[in-house]
Amino acid sequence: MPDVHEFSIADALATQVLRHVPAHGRVHEVEIRVGALRGLEPAAMEMCWDAVTHDTPLAGSVLVMDIRPWSLTCPTCGRVWESPVPFADCTCGEVAPRPTATDELDLVSMTVEDEDGDEDEGPVAAATPDGGAEAGERAS
Amino acid sequence: MSGTVRTTRLPIAERVLEVNDQLAEGVRADLARRGIFAIDLIGAPGSGKTALLEATLQRLQGRRRPAVLVGDLATRRDGDRLARWCDRVVQISTGEGCHLEAGQVRDALGQLDLDGVDLLFIENVGNLICPVGFDLGQSAKVGLFSLTEGDDKAAKHPYLVTAADVILLNKIDLAPYLTFDRAGFEADVRQLNPTVPILGISATTGEGFDAWLGWLERSSA
Ligand SMILES: Nc1nc2c(ncn2[C@@H]2O[C@H](COP(=O)(O)OP(=O)(O)OP(=O)(O)O)[C@@H](O)[C@H]2O)c(=O)[nH]1
Ligand SMILES: [Mg+2]
Ligand SMILES: [Zn+2]
Ligand SMILES: [Zn+2]
Repeated sequence: MPDVHEFSIADALATQVLRHVPAHGRVHEVEIRVGALRGLEPAAMEMCWDAVTHDTPLAGSVLVMDIRPWSLTCPTCGRVWESPVPFADCTCGEVAPRPTATDELDLVSMTVEDEDGDEDEGPVAAATPDGGAEAGERAS
Repeated sequence: MSGTVRTTRLPIAERVLEVNDQLAEGVRADLARRGIFAIDLIGAPGSGKTALLEATLQRLQGRRRPAVLVGDLATRRDGDRLARWCDRVVQISTGEGCHLEAGQVRDALGQLDLDGVDLLFIENVGNLICPVGFDLGQSAKVGLFSLTEGDDKAAKHPYLVTAADVILLNKIDLAPYLTFDRAGFEADVRQLNPTVPILGISATTGEGFDAWLGWLERSSA
């Protein structure tokens, strides 16, 4: 059983994405942005994504995770830099830079396969490619 | 069709926990209307969440009108322990869930007579990671650590440390028997959250409870 922490988030995400999938749409990729505070383990999250999307229209889709790093600020020399971990020494020797991070957890986008050709499938009304598509209104 | 598959990227921009967040706002508004100060108590399994609440409820008797929600994986034990000190306790069975969600809090509150209640304690599921990210509509988050877990737990759980309104370090009565670097623990907390109060307590002996109850009175005034 994969880590339940990632599991519950993957589960909420899958439910949310499914609301947005256009009729007959095949989802290739789902993109999320995650602040470092969430402590999400990408490998565990991938496993959970595969588990919760199995047997759904999202099966086989790739979960792309944009994990926003920690920002460290050195109280001694003022240097500011990004780090995957909250505790790291500064190049000036300071051992206690101030770590800050965000806790965002956002569904950023999804990438769907275009349905062209097969007219007999009926009007698919996939999203307009100008990005203005509000996939949400196709949810019901 | 063979050949290349064309795809379209659909921007969405929504919070993943939107549904929970909205339910939490509903709970928050309801509690505010009733004048109830709500605490989300988060700590590792066995850190002493129930013991802290037992000792706290005992000391609040006759002074406040508390209610308690307690998330427990499978048993009713915590609820039974708390019911000795408080007549408004609802046990939320979380099954395999590793955290409480706002909908469970809303439903549990619906089972309680909240007339006259001015304080709500929510014992979250024993877990230092998952519960932090799920808003329950609380007024404050209490992060509970204990000496028996080891002095590195604040550093390893930065989300709880940064999100907490007060950090409690429980089981200080065991200090003589353990090697717990309290200065190091507090330095880690300080680095992540420079302003949060850090209070050493013992739910068993009552040590440190003046400061804890003082924080509670001031915050919920
Ligand atoms: N010595 C000592 N023991 C304590 C203290 N607080 C709690 N304990 C003991 O620690 C054990 C766990 O306490 P609980 O209150 O059940 O902990 P919990 O965090 O509610 O545990 P879960 O709900 O299972 O996650 C019990 O045996 C308590 O008696 C303390 O301040 N000092
Ligand atoms: Mg307990
Ligand atoms: Zn520096
Ligand atoms: Zn969880």
